[in-house]
Amino acid sequence: MDIEVKNLHPLEVKLLRHVSSGEDITAERIIKELDYKVGQCNQAFSWLLAKGCLVETGRSHRVAYELTDLGRSHQKDGLPAERIFSFLSSEGPHAMPEISQALGLEKSDTGSAFGLLSSKGVAKMNDERKAEIVKDELPEDVRIQRSFLDKAVGSGMIDESTLSDKEKAAIQQLAKKRGAASADFKVIEGDIVVYNLTTEGEKAKKALLDANITGEEFGILTPEMLQTGAWKNGTFRPYGINAPTSRLIPGRRNAYSEYLQWVKDKLAALGFEEFDGPLVENEFWNGDALFMPQFHSARDIHDVYYVKDPVHAKRIEEPWLSQVAATHENGWKTGSRGWGYTFDHEFTRRQVLRSQGTVLSAHQLTKAKVPGKYFGIVRCFRYDQVDATHGADFYQTEGIVLGKDVNLRNLLGLLKMFAEEIAGAEEVKYVPGYFPFTEPSIEVHIKHPVLGWFELGGSGIFRPEVTEALGIDVPVLAWGLGIDRMALMHLGLNDLRELFTPDIDSVRTRRGN
Amino acid sequence: MPKIDAPEKIFYSLLGRKMSDDELVDIFPVAKAELDGHDTEHHVIKIELNDTNRPDLWSPAGVARALKCYETSVIPEYGFFSSKDEEKDSEGRMVIDDESVIGIRDYSIGFAAKGKTVDDDLLVNLIQSQEKLCTNFGRKRKTIAMGIYRKELIKFPVHYAAVDPDKTKFVPLGMTEELSLREICEKHPKGKDYGYIVSSFPKFPYLYDDNNDTLSFPPVINSARIGAVEVGDSDFFIELSGPILDDLLLAANILACDMADMGFEIQPVKVRFAKDTPYGREITVPYRFQQSAEAELSLVERKLGLPISGDEAVAALRKMGVKASVKDGRIIAECPEWRNDFLHAVDIVEDVMIGYGLENFAPELPSDFTIGRLSPVEEFSRKVKGILVGLGFQEMMYNYLGSRREYIDNMHISDEKCVFIANPMSENYEVIRPSVLPCLLESEAVSGHAVYPHSIFEVGKITIKDESDNSGTVTKDSLGFLSSNAHIGYNEAASYVNTLMYFLRKEYTLGEVSGDERFIPGRAAQIIYNGKAVGIFGETHPQVLESWGCSMPAIMCEIDLDALMA
Repeated sequence: MDIEVKNLHPLEVKLLRHVSSGEDITAERIIKELDYKVGQCNQAFSWLLAKGCLVETGRSHRVAYELTDLGRSHQKDGLPAERIFSFLSSEGPHAMPEISQALGLEKSDTGSAFGLLSSKGVAKMNDERKAEIVKDELPEDVRIQRSFLDKAVGSGMIDESTLSDKEKAAIQQLAKKRGAASADFKVIEGDIVVYNLTTEGEKAKKALLDANITGEEFGILTPEMLQTGAWKNGTFRPYGINAPTSRLIPGRRNAYSEYLQWVKDKLAALGFEEFDGPLVENEFWNGDALFMPQFHSARDIHDVYYVKDPVHAKRIEEPWLSQVAATHENGWKTGSRGWGYTFDHEFTRRQVLRSQGTVLSAHQLTKAKVPGKYFGIVRCFRYDQVDATHGADFYQTEGIVLGKDVNLRNLLGLLKMFAEEIAGAEEVKYVPGYFPFTEPSIEVHIKHPVLGWFELGGSGIFRPEVTEALGIDVPVLAWGLGIDRMALMHLGLNDLRELFTPDIDSVRTRRGN
Repeated sequence: MPKIDAPEKIFYSLLGRKMSDDELVDIFPVAKAELDGHDTEHHVIKIELNDTNRPDLWSPAGVARALKCYETSVIPEYGFFSSKDEEKDSEGRMVIDDESVIGIRDYSIGFAAKGKTVDDDLLVNLIQSQEKLCTNFGRKRKTIAMGIYRKELIKFPVHYAAVDPDKTKFVPLGMTEELSLREICEKHPKGKDYGYIVSSFPKFPYLYDDNNDTLSFPPVINSARIGAVEVGDSDFFIELSGPILDDLLLAANILACDMADMGFEIQPVKVRFAKDTPYGREITVPYRFQQSAEAELSLVERKLGLPISGDEAVAALRKMGVKASVKDGRIIAECPEWRNDFLHAVDIVEDVMIGYGLENFAPELPSDFTIGRLSPVEEFSRKVKGILVGLGFQEMMYNYLGSRREYIDNMHISDEKCVFIANPMSENYEVIRPSVLPCLLESEAVSGHAVYPHSIFEVGKITIKDESDNSGTVTKDSLGFLSSNAHIGYNEAASYVNTLMYFLRKEYTLGEVSGDERFIPGRAAQIIYNGKAVGIFGETHPQVLESWGCSMPAIMCEIDLDALMA
């Protein structure tokens, strides 16, 4: 393995430059000689081992006693027993609370230290309930403890191998295993590992020296370096550009919503004006205005969601109601013979959840301009079992084109434009279709580069029974596009329910193609 | 959309030749049909029919007739139709409708067929045709019910009358004992399905022959004797009853044509009505009741965008089974006896289009110039979304239907403003969401594994009751956002609102909130804009978090964008 030495971390660089082949390399040595922290030293070892620059040549078990924070303060300020001893020796007998206060000791510490002194016959409680010294030498236990503290003061550590058996027994009393705070020492057990520089390490060291990489190169550029100009006095350490990175969680648009927005922008760019409307509709607009007979099977209770309350709209707008009712009954003035049944004026007010986007096209007819092009991407509700291909509610993309002379060929032209611009179709095929509100009716099938042939949408020329009853006397092209399949493909999904998932993780990571 | 099964043997023989599936896929669109599958094991072709106004296509014979006609331009001729000008010989076969049926189920008509012994396939096929006509076209027998009977057991004339449902008894098909008509409604499976159609009347429709032998209790069930058609029979009487005469005549014509196509000889039956009809008091069925329809040739050109000559239009219509002629620039089209879908001249235009071939119409973009434009709420929503994304929020999208538990119980709100569905399919989808907030909390509930903080929002629609609207409801465009983390509270929520409103250039003040159990009391505020409360935000009440099973504190906010735009 050839090592890119410029990618080495400063901890590795300094270590490599510091050692030579044949030398034993231990943590103790590196910490001492390079002033590394334990963690830094371990990191450098593990990185260099992984790179093959170091090799383990020996390993021995060792036990050591490390000075705790408490031990450090005892070493510096004196053990409680030492302090009480010297206080009482110089100031004479004092009551226990006075001792605690004068020395700033916890009552319990004062108590246990005095207990130790008195048990060894060094101090006692006199008749006035005051502690006094009765022997002018500290107990041996305390003296041994002191000697350990002093011995450890330099390195903060006492290696067990340097102690006699008696000392070992004594220090074990003073040390609690695994870092209890109330002891002066803690026991450290572990392996001393010895490493050697490998040939690979040798090569790396040479390369470092040749390239004059010292490990003292600048890391982060700090504001201070800019202020002082210190950056001019050195070079910057190059970073490994392929180091693993984390992915951030940004604020983001929903990928499906972005897709719908893209479709809206496309349609607006093609000259269509957007419409919108309420979710609650009535039978009049949801069906009657579209010349669907009131007995039509798609208007069954099993196909539309009824609103529980209010059951009925207060009124249906005139003159549309009268004109549509007459059209159903006998064709009114539209040239149709109508459906030949008695229009139900109560049923028509019955409120439903909008079941098709065409409803809004019908609404739009009553306020449309000629010529005019309109579209909506609107939520609809269908009485269906919810599964991978049916949602309780879903978006439909619908629109109309009004014009004095628009005709079938214009409709085909529009469909072709949608197929190419919105669906990226390679081929377009038209077949006759059926919708109750258009005649003629056309389905457009497209060959999609990924999905293959599928039905992109339905369309037609609104029946005169629809347009004339709503006050429009020019032909109206009506179209609807099924863009859900393309949306799923765009998002790499195959279940419609996923489009409206509440799962934050899956929405966060979802991407459009 | 009706779907039918066409046994290969019957279908190919009706077509006159075997067609490959690819051929079928190519030609089916002229009948607005789709190949729905081909069960090669059972030799059945599955066909979906899209035109709900063309019941003649809902049988293998009907589809075959349309395809053959399209291919050959030869319109089939049936010799058995009577008309206002010509009456075929009914040879003593007759149905007499009694006045007692008026207002209950006004008409019964019939025809007879013989000369072909039914086998399993044919019987299944006949039952399928009957079923499609009565269920799909006849609105589940409400407007058309059909019975097929063993003609050799019948003594004509057949009588159709309304009778006492408790005194009239017979053994219905599928049972062995006599039941009264009322008992049939209560006990027989078909009675339970269809009895309701007539059971509110004091008398029920009843069909019997001149020997007083029962044919059926229309529209419910045949008798077990005359009404029990089996494999091996070859002589039939077909009867149809209902309240709309044209629908009955059309259904009779369709079935007569289908049976003729399959090799039966159709025998006319005279019908005496109980009341005056546009065709008189007595007609002979099958009966041509359709009138010719007209369309101006110029309308065809205007609609289709192509100059089409009279001859071309006539040829195109012939492929669709429609005899036509052109006079003074007008197409006069004879609707075939098995169709009745020419409501308007545009229906003729469409037949011309299909017959002429869609591939012959070159697409051409409309030439009118129009200005494209997004809706104001879409434009405003995009601004709002942009700001929230900048604030680190993830946009979400949710269903608009949910359960009472989610939208109401978990939110600790009252249901008085909520719009419920009268006929929910399941309690999971029984109410339109009154707020975006429960949706955001549902996300919280299912996303404990997602790295915190969670900052999510949606701009979408909500619906609540509003007495002032014609519908008693109002749909609003609403922004909801929610942020959850270990250290989040009112101040963060207020800062988000402040930042959002600053960039939207909306001056607002805050108002106290009281009695809103969704928020911790004293840690929520109303957003007042133009003197009107347009939103609310604050710390989510732990009882709400607990109801949803959320374990992270959350702030949330909802703003009525329509009110903010006003």
